[in-house]
This record gives sequence, structure tokens and C-alpha cells, in this order.
Amino acid sequence: MSRYLLRRLAASLLLVWVVVSLTFVLVHAAPGSPVRVLGGQAGGAAEQERRLERIYGLDRPLHEQYLDWLASVARGDWGASLATGRPVARMIGEALPNTLLLAVAATCVEYAVALPLGIWAARRQGKPADHLIRAGSLLLYSVPIFWLGLMAILVFAFLWPVLPPGHMTSPGAGAASLPARLLDVGLHLLLPALVMGVVLAGSTLRFVRNGLLDVLGQDYIRTARAKGLSEGRVVRVHALRNALVPIVQLLGLTLPTLLNGVVVAEVVFSWPGVGRVMIQALNSRDYPVILATTTLAAVLVIAGNLAADLAHAAVDPRLRRRTA
Amino acid sequence: MTIRPETPSKALAALLAALLLAACGGGGDGAPAGGDAGTADAGASAPHRGGRMVTAYSTDIVSVNELLTRSSVINSEIIRRILLPLVDETPGLEELEPRLAESWEFSDDRRTLTFHLRPGVEWSDGTPVTADDVAFTYDAWTSPEVAWEDANALDEVERVEVIDPHTVAFHFATPYSTQILDVAAGAVILPRHAWSALPFSEWRTNGDWFLDHLVVNGPFRLVSWKPQDEVVLERNPSYYEEGVPYLDQFIMRVVPEQANQLTQLLSGEADFVAQLSPDDVNRVEESDTARIETHWTRGYIAIGWNCTRPPLDDPAVRRALTLGIDRQTLVDSIWGPYARVIASPVPPDLWAHNGDVEPLPYDPTQASELLAAAGWEDGDGDGVRERDGTPLVVEVITNSGNRQREDAMVLMQEQLRRIGVDLEPQVLEFNTMVERAYERDFDGVLSGWTIPTTFDFRYSFHSAEIDGNNFIGYSNPQVDTLLEDVRAAPTLADAGPLLARLQEIVHRDQPYTFLWQSKRLMGVSNRLHGVRANHLGSYYELRYWWLEPEEGR
Repeated sequence: MSRYLLRRLAASLLLVWVVVSLTFVLVHAAPGSPVRVLGGQAGGAAEQERRLERIYGLDRPLHEQYLDWLASVARGDWGASLATGRPVARMIGEALPNTLLLAVAATCVEYAVALPLGIWAARRQGKPADHLIRAGSLLLYSVPIFWLGLMAILVFAFLWPVLPPGHMTSPGAGAASLPARLLDVGLHLLLPALVMGVVLAGSTLRFVRNGLLDVLGQDYIRTARAKGLSEGRVVRVHALRNALVPIVQLLGLTLPTLLNGVVVAEVVFSWPGVGRVMIQALNSRDYPVILATTTLAAVLVIAGNLAADLAHAAVDPRLRRRTA
Repeated sequence: MTIRPETPSKALAALLAALLLAACGGGGDGAPAGGDAGTADAGASAPHRGGRMVTAYSTDIVSVNELLTRSSVINSEIIRRILLPLVDETPGLEELEPRLAESWEFSDDRRTLTFHLRPGVEWSDGTPVTADDVAFTYDAWTSPEVAWEDANALDEVERVEVIDPHTVAFHFATPYSTQILDVAAGAVILPRHAWSALPFSEWRTNGDWFLDHLVVNGPFRLVSWKPQDEVVLERNPSYYEEGVPYLDQFIMRVVPEQANQLTQLLSGEADFVAQLSPDDVNRVEESDTARIETHWTRGYIAIGWNCTRPPLDDPAVRRALTLGIDRQTLVDSIWGPYARVIASPVPPDLWAHNGDVEPLPYDPTQASELLAAAGWEDGDGDGVRERDGTPLVVEVITNSGNRQREDAMVLMQEQLRRIGVDLEPQVLEFNTMVERAYERDFDGVLSGWTIPTTFDFRYSFHSAEIDGNNFIGYSNPQVDTLLEDVRAAPTLADAGPLLARLQEIVHRDQPYTFLWQSKRLMGVSNRLHGVRANHLGSYYELRYWWLEPEEGR
């Protein structure tokens, strides 16, 4: 098992390196640069750009910049943002907990909706409830987070103002006590997590339903029923355990979708997360920040997949035997 | 300061219910029907001291050190609330308001400009503001390691002399028209005692250091900056002016999605939104929480033609294109009463405007004649003119995300089609558009230009700047001389006739088809009064703005 693990780890690291190097090349090849003078009135624009290029080392050959960047990252130094001069690691470190909070909350909502409804639909296959749930899941799956988010804000923060219109905290909330601040964040978390979770649940729900139906059609289920076990026990003890195996994998595989969704949700709900940092960096061609956030995303996705595969191997004894 | 009360339990109960969404974004395509919404602030009584003003803006600030930022409007607005320049410009642009400098005078040969600093002004840590701060700031402005974007404004300054703690003199190589503006109004004065500790070579890579060592002398001070989230300012108790600011707190919240800015304004979560679009006006005017206030922007939207690329190198062809665009219809459809057609880079509300330069009319007949005379005829009857087999295709690039410009493109394409010109719109990501503009890889660029208060148009029209901001490649020796003369004039007022002549020639040459000057549409809470926003800034003189107390408080 450990040889397998080492091989997978090595492959994962290699993959992260490939993704990040590709990003480096693409980002430098894209039109526009972080030192382009954008304002329309200043004179000496060309001179100014050259001056800044020299200061930031952007006038060096690309491979030199690349190796330099790799070397500093290996030292743990992600550099300073070209736009703000702030340490990149800190910019991301400030925003990452906010993104994780939203992502985890959204995932909780996603499974809180998808699991019960998926199981319910599978157990009532063919009945009206099943059709209704399937139609509902298709609707949710098709709805863009962006649109649903805007509508949710319009309804719950304006037409019937019970929730805040975005952001993570109330204006100037830094001064309140800790419990008050926790409550404040929780309140602000409700709408974005619900919107994201519900949209994501659209596809997960179908997966749960189909996975369970698959398992329910297996021989050992018929055996369990023949033994006289109650339907509830059949589903809970025998079917679900096996149906959950692919769910674990699903968590890892849908990580990119989750990250995409989080970025969109952060814009719509003015949530101060990594997605916003990334977008601002892309708009200003802030190379160090773009590279750092891309590396982070790549690591998360690849690590997520690795963890899902390992968890799968842990849960499924068949896999364990093969890879020993 | 209280947090708005919420009722979460009701929300949770009703969330699962199906919803019929009413009155979603009235975003029609038509222009707003309302008349000019001017300043509906009548009936406001004496300013009330206190309160917290919240504004929603689409981008975050970048740094508390304005020398490190790339043209960020909101950044300089926020910095101007906490740090002071020597002088402030006033909306009419003809007078200056003393700030850190109480008075100033020129030597007889105008090569020395001496400022007398206001006594008794202190930084927020108690250190007095002195001439040493000014000298230090000048060093920062001109340091090649700091590489300030606008450092060129100080090219004529030879040296800065500290005469005594409250007297500082700028020595110029030669006098010219905008000496005061260049050294005293362009940027704020920095705290020498706090910021000289970091060598200039490390300024660009240590953004957080300035935050940690920030001291201020403006009407407000910085309480906190949560990146991508909000900037919180509060009244600075050591500010030199008595009685102001009225506001206790000013909070700028970053709201990237414009639709949300409007929602927040209407729900009362935000008290001020600096930039709404014409489609939003009706909804604000119909609400009872907010109103619209407007002012003319100090800029214009125009198509810059590539004057180095045939057939646009021919002024007659450019003239024909302008004649073939119905600019009044553009303005009426897109902006309604909130923009006007202009004929030159100096719009009617600025003092240097040449009223004799009238916009070219919409005259497709004359346009066709001009094109035909230049050899462009529609031989094959496909609706597009050709010359020597080449069709008259004009590619105009613009940046995405600006609804008004995209709408204009569509309308112009239709209008130019009628005179046999095939306009190909190309909507690009902003940086990409800027790149192509600087590389002169376009037929036309549809963009916005800001007019400098120095009226120094060299950077847009001088042939020496063709590799810079004169990327359209315009070159006219008469204009070059005029631009240099404007700069060399003793004062800007003396340059008036020169600027008038400049507008005439530019109008004749049509290197740009000037489209419109628009109004800034601001959403203002009905509780907010004394709003003095103008073309100098959306938060101009924020210290005099005030909020009515909320009910029951």
C-alpha cells in the first residue's frame, strides 16, 4: 500500500509542476502586462513601463524568470504582488479561510439535500415523488449560481429583507464581541452556502439516486430481502454502505466544480475569498499572484483526487487486495 | 454604530417555498424617460454631526501609498480622505484651495515657487507637519526606484529647498503654465518621520509596510482595511479644520457585481453608489430610499482612428466616418438626458472650451460624397464600398464589460452600413485592448479619455508621444507647436486662445471621432446630504457631507 501511495504522490507532484509551468508560460504569453500604463494622461508611458520591468525583473529572459520563481517557491517565498506590493502568501492566507468556510458550508448543504432526497427518490423509483425529485434536480443543475445568487439577494435582502445582501460581515463589524461576530458571519454565510449547495446538489442528487438504484438491483440485496430483513434495514445496512463508495470518489472528482462555483459565488455575494484575489490578479496581470493561486487550485484538486482514491481504496476491500 | 437587526428564523422557514420573482431589474433597452434629475436636495437643514456612511464600490483599494498604484481612481479617492496635498483644485479649475500650504508666491522670474505651510498641522502621532515632509515627498516622487507613474510632471523641477520648518521652495529650470498644479495638487504629502525608514528600493515590494507605519493628517483616519472586503475610515480628531468632518465613520465596501450595488442602495445597506448606469435611474427615482444626483465627467468617449494606416490616414475619410455616425441618436438611445455630443477634447462645462467649434452634423450624403471622392465606390453592389478591390472594412476595438460602448458599436455599425462602410466591432478583454492599442494594431479604438486639469494634451496629440498615449499616431506640426506653447505659457489662463486654436485644428483633422461626454449618475441615500461630488472626485470634500440621524436613534 505504501509503494502505491508513494507512486501516487510522486505522480501528483509531477502533475502540479506541469500545471503550474503551463500556467507560467500562458500567463506571460497572454497580451497585456502588469506594468502597462493604463491611465490616459501621463507622459513618458514607454519609459515608465521599461523602468517597472527592470524593477520587477520582467525584462529578463522567460526561462530565467521561471527558474528564479521556482527557486524562491522552493524556499517558501511566493514573492510580492506586482499590483499591491503585498506578500502573495499573506494575500492568499487572508482569503483562503473565507473560501474554505464557504466551500465546506456549501458542500454540507449539497449533501444534506442530495443524500436524503436521492435515497428517497431511489426507494420510490418510478413513483410520482421520484419524477418530481428528478425534475427538480435537473432544474437545479441547469441554474447558474450567478443568476440564482442575484435573484436570492434580490428576494431575501431587498424585497423581503431578512438576510444580508452579500459580504461576510456587516459593515464595520470588527469592533463587536467574538460571539456577535461569529453570529454575524453565520448569518452572512447562509445565503451563499444555500445557493451554492442547492445548485451543486442538483447533480449529486442524481448520482446518489442512481448509485443506490444500482446497488439495490444487486443479488446480495435480493438475498437480504429473502432473509426477511426489513426494507429499511436492507437499505441502511447493506445497500447504503456500498452505494456510498462512489460518493467518496465523487467528492474528490467534483472538487473543480466546487472551486469554480466558489469563485462565482464570491463575486455574486461579495465574499472576500481566494476567487476574488484570483480575478483581480488576472485583470491586472499580477503574475506572482496568478501563479500562486493556480498552484493552490492545482494542489487542492490533485490532492482531493488523491485523497478520494485513497479513501476509496480504504473503503473497498477489493481494491486493497489488488494494490497490496 | 448599530448593526441592522435581522430576523433569521423567518428566513429559514420560508426558504424552501417556491418563489415568484417580481420586479427583477427593470433593465430595459430604452433610455430613461425622466428629465434631468439634478440635485434633489432641497429642504435639507443644518448639517448633523455623526453617523456612518457606507458606499459600495466595485474594486478594492490597492495600497495606502499612492505612488505604488496604477491609475486606481478609488485608491486616490480614499487616500485623499486621510492624507493631504499642498493645495486642492476646485471644480471650476480656476482657483486653488489651500490645504497643507496656506499661501504661496512666485519669484519675479517665476522660476521659484515658495509655499508657506499652515502652522499647527500635525500627523496623527503628534509629529508636526513640516517642510521636511514636502522635501521627502519630492524625493519619493522623483525616485527611479519608486517609479511613480506621474513622475514626469516634475521634469522641470531642479531642486526643492527647505527654507525653514514651514517654508519650502521649488526651483524650476524654466517657468511654464502649470507649475503649481504639477508640484502641489497632483499628489499628497507623505510623512517623512514615518516613511523614510524604508529605502526607496524596497518600496515596491513591501506594500504592507506602509499600512503598518501609516500616520495621517487628513479629515479621516484609517481604522481597518480588510482586503477584497471593506475599508473603514473614521473622523481624525487631530485634523486641523474645526467642526469637520460631520461623519463619524465612512466605510467603502467592495461589491464587484453592479446589480448588487443597486440592490444595496435601494435596501438602505449602502448610502452612496458612485456609478450607476442609465438603466438604473428609474428604479432609484421610484424608490423612497434614494435619489439620483449627477455631474458631468471630465472626460469623453471617442473613437481614435489609426492615423498611420490607410485609408484612415486620410482626414477626408475620417471626416466622412464622423459625418456618417448619428451621434445624437447614439446619445439619445444609450444615455437619454445624461450625455451630450461633443466636438473636441474640451467639453462645454470646462473653461477652456471653444464654443465656436461645433460638432459635425449627421450628414450621410456628404459622407458618401467624401468617400466617393477618395475613390471608394460600391462596384459590386454588396453594400460595401471598395477601392482597388479592397472593401472598406473598419475594425473598431473596445473593452468588454461596458454596456454603453457595446451598444454604441452596434448602432454605429448599422449607421455606417448605410454609407457603405463595414464596421467590424471587436470587443476585447481590457488588457488585451490596451495592448493592441499601444501596438497600433487597430483601425479604430472606442475608448474613454480623461482630460487632465493641466490641459496638457501633449500626451494625446503630440507626435513625440506616438509610442506612448498618442497611439493613434496623430501627427501635425502645427498642433505640436501649439501644445508646446500651451505648456510654455506663463499661466494656464494665458493659454486659453492657444487651447481654442488646438480644438479648431483637431476638429478639422478628425483624428478622433468624438462621441459623447456623459454624466456620472450617483445613487444617493435620501438621508445623505451635502454631497459635493464633481469631476474632481466622487467623494470630493467628503468632510462636509452629512447624514440625517436614523429614525428612533
